[in-house]
Amino acid sequence: MTAVLHNPVFREPESMSGATREIEFRDALREAMSEEMRRDKRVFLLGEEVAQYDGAYKVSKGMLAEFGARRIVDTPISESGFAGMAIGAASMGLRPIVEFMSWSFSLVAADPILNNAPKMLYMSGGQLGCPIVFRGNDGAGGQLGSTHSWAVEGLFSNVPGVKIVIPSCPADAKGLLKTAIRDDDPVFFLESERLLSIKGHVPEGEYLIPFGHAAIRRAGKDCTITAWGRPVAFALEAAEILAKEGIDCEVIDLRTIRPLDLPTVVQSVRKTSCAVVVDQSWSFASPGSELAAQIHKHCFDDLDNFVHRVHSDDVPTPYSSKLEQEYLPNVRKICEAVRSATYRA
Amino acid sequence: MPIEITMPRLSDTMEAGTVIKWNVKEGDSVKSGSVVAEIETDKATMEMQCFDDGRMAAILVEPGRQVKVGTPIALVALEGEDAARVKASGVRSSAPAPVNAAAPVAAAAPVAAVAPAVAAAKPAIIVQTETRHGMEGFPVESDDGPRMRVSPVARRMAQEHGISIDAVAGTGPAGRIIKRDVEQAIENKLAAKSASIAPAQALAVSTGGVQTNSSPLALALPGRNVALSGMRQTIARRLVESKSTIPHYQVTMKFDMDRLIDLRGSYNEKLKSSGVKLSVNDFLVRACALAMAEHPYFNASFAGDHVRLHEVVNIGVAISLPEEKGGGLVVGVIKDADHKSLRQISADTKNLAEKARTKGLSVQDMSDATFTISNLGMFGVEHFTAIINPPNSAILACGAAVQQPVVRGGQLVVGTQMQATLSLDHRVIDGAMAAQYLASLKEFIEEPETLVV
Amino acid sequence: MTHSMAPTNTSSPTQTGGPRRLPSLPPATLVKWLRELHLIREFEVRCMQSYQEKKIGGFCHVYIGQEAIAVGCTAAVRPEDPIVTAYRDHGHALARGMTARACMAEMFGKIDGCAKGKGGSMHMFDRPNNLYGGHGIVGAQTPLGTGLAFATKYEDEVLNDGKNRRVTLCFLGDGAVNQGAFYETMNLAGLFDIPVIFIVENNGYSMGTAINRGTTMSHDLCIKGRAHGLKEATIDGMDLLAVYHDMHALAEWCREHSRPAIVDMKCYRYKGHSMSDPRKYRTREEEERHEANDPIGKFERVLLDHGVVNEGSIKEIMTSCREEVRDAVQFSNENAEPPMSDLYTDVFVEPWGRFPGSSQPTFTGGADNVCTFRATDGKEGLV
Repeated sequence: MTAVLHNPVFREPESMSGATREIEFRDALREAMSEEMRRDKRVFLLGEEVAQYDGAYKVSKGMLAEFGARRIVDTPISESGFAGMAIGAASMGLRPIVEFMSWSFSLVAADPILNNAPKMLYMSGGQLGCPIVFRGNDGAGGQLGSTHSWAVEGLFSNVPGVKIVIPSCPADAKGLLKTAIRDDDPVFFLESERLLSIKGHVPEGEYLIPFGHAAIRRAGKDCTITAWGRPVAFALEAAEILAKEGIDCEVIDLRTIRPLDLPTVVQSVRKTSCAVVVDQSWSFASPGSELAAQIHKHCFDDLDNFVHRVHSDDVPTPYSSKLEQEYLPNVRKICEAVRSATYRA
Repeated sequence: MPIEITMPRLSDTMEAGTVIKWNVKEGDSVKSGSVVAEIETDKATMEMQCFDDGRMAAILVEPGRQVKVGTPIALVALEGEDAARVKASGVRSSAPAPVNAAAPVAAAAPVAAVAPAVAAAKPAIIVQTETRHGMEGFPVESDDGPRMRVSPVARRMAQEHGISIDAVAGTGPAGRIIKRDVEQAIENKLAAKSASIAPAQALAVSTGGVQTNSSPLALALPGRNVALSGMRQTIARRLVESKSTIPHYQVTMKFDMDRLIDLRGSYNEKLKSSGVKLSVNDFLVRACALAMAEHPYFNASFAGDHVRLHEVVNIGVAISLPEEKGGGLVVGVIKDADHKSLRQISADTKNLAEKARTKGLSVQDMSDATFTISNLGMFGVEHFTAIINPPNSAILACGAAVQQPVVRGGQLVVGTQMQATLSLDHRVIDGAMAAQYLASLKEFIEEPETLVV
Repeated sequence: MTHSMAPTNTSSPTQTGGPRRLPSLPPATLVKWLRELHLIREFEVRCMQSYQEKKIGGFCHVYIGQEAIAVGCTAAVRPEDPIVTAYRDHGHALARGMTARACMAEMFGKIDGCAKGKGGSMHMFDRPNNLYGGHGIVGAQTPLGTGLAFATKYEDEVLNDGKNRRVTLCFLGDGAVNQGAFYETMNLAGLFDIPVIFIVENNGYSMGTAINRGTTMSHDLCIKGRAHGLKEATIDGMDLLAVYHDMHALAEWCREHSRPAIVDMKCYRYKGHSMSDPRKYRTREEEERHEANDPIGKFERVLLDHGVVNEGSIKEIMTSCREEVRDAVQFSNENAEPPMSDLYTDVFVEPWGRFPGSSQPTFTGGADNVCTFRATDGKEGLV
């Protein structure tokens, strides 16, 4: 762990004593929302198919029955309208959770989510905040074609005033979403359709994971692999393969890319002299390029090679399964990058 | 107060404007909102309105003339003000105004002059940066031949270990010198050093081969890391080797120091004029050296299948280095100590200590100790044990001489005593032998006159 | 659901200010409104002047000619009813009670501006007076305004058990009528029974484009709301008394029924779209025709006819407004610019994490891994 935790509220899931259960990523998200809605009546959920349909991806399953139609609000297909409406409600002090069925659909709501939510506080000189969570599926879901496979962090992380959370496992999904809901600033919470059904141990008790705290998923001394969201699993798989070749990788899961836990990454790279960044958005002007620039700046005299980056290829997302696999960051690409970065290619 | 109408800014990019036409003459009355002139901007011809009620007292800029935004172009006399007087005084005070059209230009000039200089300086820096970090696949040749490629961490490590980067062969892409190349060079250097220097002259000589940079006991707690100096690495390596390969054991004895201290006092009194000041340690060095005649195994080295008894007696003295010199520990060697007088030993020790703490001891100064003394008495330590300095067979750890109750002839009296502890290589020296050596030392120390003759 | 409700107009376009409505209002209120009209106009005139003197930067859109709308609509609702508007927002701010100093200092980009100099002309925010901005992107405030109303309804239904029954005024220009977000918003408002009134300040031009050149069915903008079941009203925005009475009736109806409405508020913008607009797209004759219908002159005549004011008291009002605005300009001139440190504040309410101020970490290097959190909202720090 990167920090010793003293507070009973903010806790790493591993630090929780007591029982854990194996539940799906989507269950963890639902638990986070339901617990926060029970705690605070200002919290409500709105989006397409969240209520009567039980959620397009069953994340909000059963929530209508518990909280009623006033707080679980089905919207028509009008992202710009309902995202903007929720921002207005947030500026009045409510705490909306806006579900985008896919973050790909958030692009038609670009004006409210980029021009209003993150700037309200600044433009009003601190008078109006915007405590809102936008959440939904991000990244390639699997053969959805180009328009539905956006990794929006590449676009949205450029904007000051937003916090961007990209969890990689059910336990983090719950702890981070609870923190997001309690946060007084706009939070973009990026889930992956490909992760919703994975299971993981989630503690029974309440815990919140603070933003800006990366998790070291695997300790190693030869190369630092930094990833977030779905590619964390690929990085861990690659690390096992590389270990057999005698390359001992440290795998860091950033969990939030804004705020960015640079100290943890820098500390690791100073130890390994070698860094590979894995990012499923496109490489040009991306979170990965930002992280690489920061590593080059802070670890310049510690690096044995330039920072290697693994991204989605610089083409629209293809439909063909074979092409899509090749297009996305994958285990093979990560292994190749690490071998090259450590001069073992 | 009459109102000064200035050339308005009529678009976000407008810097200067031209009065196309005045709609009023001097003396005409004007109202807030009335259009008094037409102004040509960079974009369009716009109407200029007046913001106050009054009488046009003076028109300062004639049609067709371009002036900067902000330049006074007319004066308006407000209700109750005399237009003629406003014109007379206003034109005088504003007289430079139309002429002043040049003023803003002049003011802007220095800025303009500076700006290109700054702009010019910037690209120069950028070009330099790009050259220095020429990317892979973009061959960059400087005038003085092919560029040397070194990874940043390799460059830093080479510097820290005093390795000339030119001498390192790069194995990275395009011959880039990378971390493992420098690590190899460091290893080579250490191996060469330990081969050229006879084993074990001083602690600060590497033997290599012993893993010292692992940190199995490191705690995951807040803290900071301090890089090991070359000396610290050597100490770590050699003492791990000593303690883990030599079967150590310790034997302690107390010595009455009253007479030695008295004698030292009287000598120092007598020798004051010649600048000599003997220390207790000088007596100990001589005592240990003289005792070797009777106890040759204390002046010996274990050599695998035999024990080497040395003919010369070279007593090593551990010298701690001050923090500002990076701290650490070296052993200065007093050669042929059994043939040296107290005065000579004292002088040698002072020289070694001085040299160690200023410019550093030479390999010569640290070589060939056959026995070592470590003394923490000056720090008030009464008892401690030391690690043998290989390939010696023993080391003596001396504490402070302290006053304490002693029984002499059945009487409790105040005496001054010192504890000294031998650490011994059991492969060479057995317990009884150690006791006998200490007994000889005791004789010398408690009858210190024997050390003088 | 009240979708089946037959749309009705609460008024037909009115001819002149209705003296018949006057007796119901106390004279002090009428004088207060007259002063607000003059204050806004004087403020806007001095904004133009200050813009031309380069004291005000960026874009600047003045409200001259439309003053009766902000004054009348604000008077027609309760102070706690939220208001949101677009970028031609100085008039709404002043009508809602923002001081001329705070408003002008914001225009000047100074520290005592309503948004500490961070918003500017287009972004007047005044939370204590329930003004939720000036918004710069055409039409962007319409979902926000609906959100404000959604929140008031949610407060009543989920949090407070129906106590406040607030209604939200969301102003927009006739140009915003063609933005997609507006249609999405009207649909949501109709669907969710949201008490929001979309007041289209229809001054006939979206920048330089006359309404009939950019908008279908432009003779009656209420038609735009009809498909979403909005209550409709067409009001003469140049007549303060008509604005007040009709808006008051409409707002009370929306409050009572928790339903949205749309208002085609007919008006005219005397000046250009912004300060750099030469107004070549219309004739001087057209402008003069509308200037003859000036809302301030019209209201003054009604008050003079009824003896509420006389020439002298009108002059007093004008002088006092001039003094107040002159003071605001002088204050703004002398007011300090925001300190450099303000550049980095108000980015986040909770800059917690290791990086205060923003997501851009200030990294000091070294092996020190101690991190501290600012405690906010009961959240404790961790080390």
